[in-house]
Amino acid sequence: MNHLSEEELVERYYNGAANSGTAGSGQTGAEAVHLDECAECAAAFAALEVDLAAMRPVELPDKGEYYGEQMWARVEAALPSRSLPARKSRLALWRGLAFAAGCAALVTASFYGGRFYEHLHQRPVLQGQRRAPASSPQQKVVVVVLGDHLDRSERLLVELKHADPESPELVNPLTEEARALLAANRVFRDDAQREGDPALTQALSHLDQVLTEIANRRSGLDAAALERIKNQMNADGLLFEVRVLRSKNPHRNKTVRVMARGGAA
Amino acid sequence: MCGMSQGDGAAIEAVLAGDREAFGELVRRHSRMLFRLAVRMTGNEADADDVVQDAFLRAYQKLATFESRADFGTWIYRIAVHCALDRLQRRRQDEARRVSEDNDPEEGGVQVADSKPDPERLAISTEIAVLQEAAMRGLTAMERTAFVLRHLEERSTEEIAAALDVTPNTAKQSVYRAVQKVRRRLTQLKVMA
Repeated sequence: MNHLSEEELVERYYNGAANSGTAGSGQTGAEAVHLDECAECAAAFAALEVDLAAMRPVELPDKGEYYGEQMWARVEAALPSRSLPARKSRLALWRGLAFAAGCAALVTASFYGGRFYEHLHQRPVLQGQRRAPASSPQQKVVVVVLGDHLDRSERLLVELKHADPESPELVNPLTEEARALLAANRVFRDDAQREGDPALTQALSHLDQVLTEIANRRSGLDAAALERIKNQMNADGLLFEVRVLRSKNPHRNKTVRVMARGGAA
Repeated sequence: MCGMSQGDGAAIEAVLAGDREAFGELVRRHSRMLFRLAVRMTGNEADADDVVQDAFLRAYQKLATFESRADFGTWIYRIAVHCALDRLQRRRQDEARRVSEDNDPEEGGVQVADSKPDPERLAISTEIAVLQEAAMRGLTAMERTAFVLRHLEERSTEEIAAALDVTPNTAKQSVYRAVQKVRRRLTQLKVMA
């Protein structure tokens, strides 16, 4: 029998290693005999084994038992919206309508409650004073939902991540959006702290730092500021943290706060 | 490759019936297996995470074409192989654009110059892993995939052929060429050490 080619040696190495009866294993009897008798082929095979042993599997990084959960958060955030079948759609529609009705009732009650309260407390003052100027700002009531807040925050962070400092017309609106998010963020953070939710508290605290940094840049975001904020976001893993919260927090659409626009709750 | 569990079948039916959350069960169940494959194929954690995500997104979009008799684990594994292959090819193209040298006309692939390992790669690399990564750097995306599946994942030639949509002989040749190149590279590295 001729000497075994390198290809045959490779095939023999893997068929032997995996004990799988793949193509070529029929010749293994004659090859095995030849390997026993031929010192040259035996040496070549031993050298192959040594080389491939250097490529043995190494210990892989352990992603922990929650990896599946984290991956689902990533996947879910990127899934395309798919219309549900009729049976489910109807159920979802009713649930959505119920939720919307609840929100509307809450807004209405808050609005009239606020007006009534204002009315009660302003009457003595008005009696003793002239009528307030027509231009005095009337405080408006807004309802903020944690789920929406996280959605908007994620959008802001994504835009920030891809922001190009050479395009100020795209970057500068981010400061306005950050200011708009800041008050609600603090309310939700304080709530989370009070209710003992460390994950949410921590994420919203990180978010608060970034939002504050952006909101305070009244003259706009230059390249250095953008870079610093991006580094801060990356160091905290903020975008991922927000995505996880957005998709996993079971109370995201039920946590509703009524706030005076531009202020605290 | 992997046994189809009843849970997979039920989850797939639920997803197809409109329950998006049920897809989460499949992701939770198969993520770690895919990560192991992906990190071996791409050589770093960040790319591996992206490959796993891409694989599930593709699977979700094509779930209606999945045959209920098939094994979901095997199916998603093959999708992940293709996602990793795509990523490797893109990475090679990006690196080749930067390096713009060392084209290998014989293999039809692209040889890229060594680049410094990134922090992610360093974080997961032992000395052996660094050596292995260096040894595999000269492989084309196809060869690398075939080698990882054969050598590290211990898949048979037929399984590799099925995963890569090639004939068994092509898969065998890819493994053989990969082994040749790896050995050559290991010799060079030993000389340099």
